[in-house]
Amino acid sequence: MLFKISLSGVKSRWKDYLVLFSGMMITTAIFYMFEAISTNDKFTTSSPVGQNAKFVFIFGSILLAIITLVYVFYANNFLMSMRKHDYGLFMMLGAKSKVISKLIILETLVIGLASTFVGIILGVGFTKGLSGLLSSQIHVSLTNFSAFYMPAVWATLILFLVLFVIAGLVNARTFTKTSALNLLRSNQESDWKDPKKRTLFVQAVGGLVLLAIGYYAMYDINHLQLLAIGIGLITIVLGTYFVFNSFFVMILEAVQRSNTSYKGLNNFTISQLKFRIRDYTKILSVVSLLFALALGAITVGIGFQRMVPMMAAGNNAYAVGLTNPSPKMKSLVGDIDGKAQVTYQQKVDPGSKSVYYRASQFEAQPFKYAHFTNQAQLKSKIDNASLTQLKDRASTAYAGLNNLQAPLTRNLRIRLVSDTTFNRINAKANTLLLVRVNDMDAAATTLSKITNLQTRQYGKKVSEGLGVGGAYETYQLLKGVFGSLEFMGIFLGIAFLAMLASCLMFKILSGAASDKARFEMLNKIGARKSVLNRSIAVQILGLFILPAVLGIIDVAFGLQMFIKANLLHGAYQTFGWSVLGFSILYLIYYGITVMIYSKIVVPKTKVEK
Amino acid sequence: MTTEIVRTKDLHKIYDQNGPKPYEALKGITFSVQQGEFVGIMGASGSGKTTLLNIMATLDQPTSGSVEIDGKDVTNLTANQMSDFRSEKLGFIFQDFNLLETLTAQENIALPLSLQNKKPGETKQAVEAATKKLGIDDLLSKYPTQLSGGQKQRVAAARALVANPSIIFGDEPTGALDSTNARELLDTLTNINQQGVSILLVTHDPFSASFCKRILFIKDGKIGDEIDADGKSRNEFYQQILEKLGTFEQ
Ligand SMILES: Nc1ncnc2c1ncn2[C@@H]1O[C@H](COP(=O)(O)OP(=O)(O)O)[C@@H](O)[C@H]1O
Ligand SMILES: [Mg+2]
Repeated sequence: MLFKISLSGVKSRWKDYLVLFSGMMITTAIFYMFEAISTNDKFTTSSPVGQNAKFVFIFGSILLAIITLVYVFYANNFLMSMRKHDYGLFMMLGAKSKVISKLIILETLVIGLASTFVGIILGVGFTKGLSGLLSSQIHVSLTNFSAFYMPAVWATLILFLVLFVIAGLVNARTFTKTSALNLLRSNQESDWKDPKKRTLFVQAVGGLVLLAIGYYAMYDINHLQLLAIGIGLITIVLGTYFVFNSFFVMILEAVQRSNTSYKGLNNFTISQLKFRIRDYTKILSVVSLLFALALGAITVGIGFQRMVPMMAAGNNAYAVGLTNPSPKMKSLVGDIDGKAQVTYQQKVDPGSKSVYYRASQFEAQPFKYAHFTNQAQLKSKIDNASLTQLKDRASTAYAGLNNLQAPLTRNLRIRLVSDTTFNRINAKANTLLLVRVNDMDAAATTLSKITNLQTRQYGKKVSEGLGVGGAYETYQLLKGVFGSLEFMGIFLGIAFLAMLASCLMFKILSGAASDKARFEMLNKIGARKSVLNRSIAVQILGLFILPAVLGIIDVAFGLQMFIKANLLHGAYQTFGWSVLGFSILYLIYYGITVMIYSKIVVPKTKVEK
Repeated sequence: MTTEIVRTKDLHKIYDQNGPKPYEALKGITFSVQQGEFVGIMGASGSGKTTLLNIMATLDQPTSGSVEIDGKDVTNLTANQMSDFRSEKLGFIFQDFNLLETLTAQENIALPLSLQNKKPGETKQAVEAATKKLGIDDLLSKYPTQLSGGQKQRVAAARALVANPSIIFGDEPTGALDSTNARELLDTLTNINQQGVSILLVTHDPFSASFCKRILFIKDGKIGDEIDADGKSRNEFYQQILEKLGTFEQ
């Protein structure tokens, strides 16, 4: 009997359940995906960073588990806000609290487990897609990688099972402790009192000052060293809290005092937003900080990756050096857009421990070498090497040329000789083809094929630690390292954003039921439906946008830390794009929240003309 | 010579007309309310009171028949016209005050005028006028949580009054109140009525109804009977209502 009522309650709100269910599913899928990739030895050991990456991934897993916990908590609250009325009714009908407890735990578990199962299946699909994307886009090699990974399934299952059992128990407890009447009349009246002006002012100023200190500390990292991070963490967390609790409230009060508040529902909208901001200070602060963390992770992750071509460019002027290239290699070189190539003749004489070149060739076609003009900012320059430089073993130019030769000749001495001397040397003449490319990223695929062919031609020695040389080798090496960092950044960034936005969404939606009476009243006293909808859109926009703006400012200053410490260059361009991408994703959540909220709260007009 | 504020003509309402189980809640209701009257509509639960009130208050549309308020036919308005009409011509008294907790008494009362986008100066004057009538001008800067039940009541009444409505509607306004608060609300309404505002209450409670000056009895979607206070004391009228109910319910 109770089960039937329970089921009918679910049926009547299946759309809201659908939102909840899909949210849970996506969370599970994200978690599985992360676990499948990070705990998979095939990925971590085959990637060049190996153990380092593993550590970063474990750290990421923990962060993800924490936010998942918070997420389940808010989703669960939303679920219970939908069920309050029904359970209150059961109690009125005389159902024993034991029976109700069982029902609640059962319901929570059924929803939880169902979404976990579907989520894992979804996660396997996502993982498959993502691993493909990873290997093609950021050159992280994922050989023998399978999307279905049993340990990840277990980790996901166990985490979510535990979370839902806890959620079910907590629900059952709160329900059986609340009286039936209170459940039925759960649209609690908020007891709003205007905060004291002085407290408000002091907190607002305090919050801003704290934020300023935090931002300055990050800016001054060279001086403050590790202390900067400590100071930044504490002041920004506290500052964020106070800014929400007071600064934004103060601004809204100023708007309220102006004449615009006499128009339509403006006054209601502003005062409601004011109330919500104070009521939600904690979650808004958390959302803001997580937003910053997520945005920061993406920006820094991509930022490192973007520096790779710059680092490679300063390393060698040529992407690859090919000794006696096969016709196939030559034709591949021909395929590269935007390149320059030069060929030198070379004779190797192991007896005199020398590699001979024709000086005349280096005069006609000067060898180019790259050198950093500002190592900190990764600014580099390319110059023509003089013959004197090429004869000096200590010069950058000499090292550059040396690195482009076949691995086995690198410990020999480079000597530039006249044509007559060169012709007299009794050895086979090799050709050394050097290729410069304008756009390393664009040429990467072709260069990788060329390098593979060259490696095979060189034979075993190369795979024993010595690469084919040139800027492309550096590029490839750094890509491997930063590729997993970037992946972490993007993945965690998006996962965090998705979850924090849903937390906020569920928190806001949980309050919708208690807002119903207000909107019904406003409808009766003659507020147009469009006016009601606008009021909702503005209120929720405020709740979404304020934490985001604060988070963006946090990152804008936080990046200074990486820049000043010379870890990151050109970060603000990446930052701009990340903000754009983030905003779009975030706006989707905002839109969904407004739609559902309006549907719960705005009375249906009987006339649909 | 009195003017008609409300006039309904042969109102019918069929719920789920095209559904599997159409239900006729109103079966031809015709009556009118004069300027300055205090009219009650009584009937058992399910007799169609709320349906009738919602149609008169432009919150719902009749299947057939017409409603005129202040000489204007309101049955064929668009949704927006209905909203505007409600904010300009109608006042509402709600069951549980329904004040917005985050606004002061003054701001709550001003709400209907803001919806009409009246100038701030005009709004202030109108709010002052309405609060003077109800003797609550000293409460204006307080928030609802700082007010007693009776004070909230009067603030809500001031909000209903502030836009100078043609008529004030109330659907079981005392339904959720304890007897002290109910009494206070009814006294407030009587006070407002004495200042010339027309009021129409819907109720199934004889005590509330006894504050009205005229009562229409509704049963199964039709008006069955009508009684008038005719200068009787409230107590006498109350007795008469009880008697009437006794015979009417059979
Ligand atoms: N939206 C609706 N759909 C279908 N039937 C309804 C609807 N609203 C009311 N009714 C039915 O119309 C009848 C009159 O309802 P109502 O006007 O609310 O009565 P009262 O307010 O006098 O208790 C009742 O039988 C009720 O079940
Ligand atoms: Mg009713």
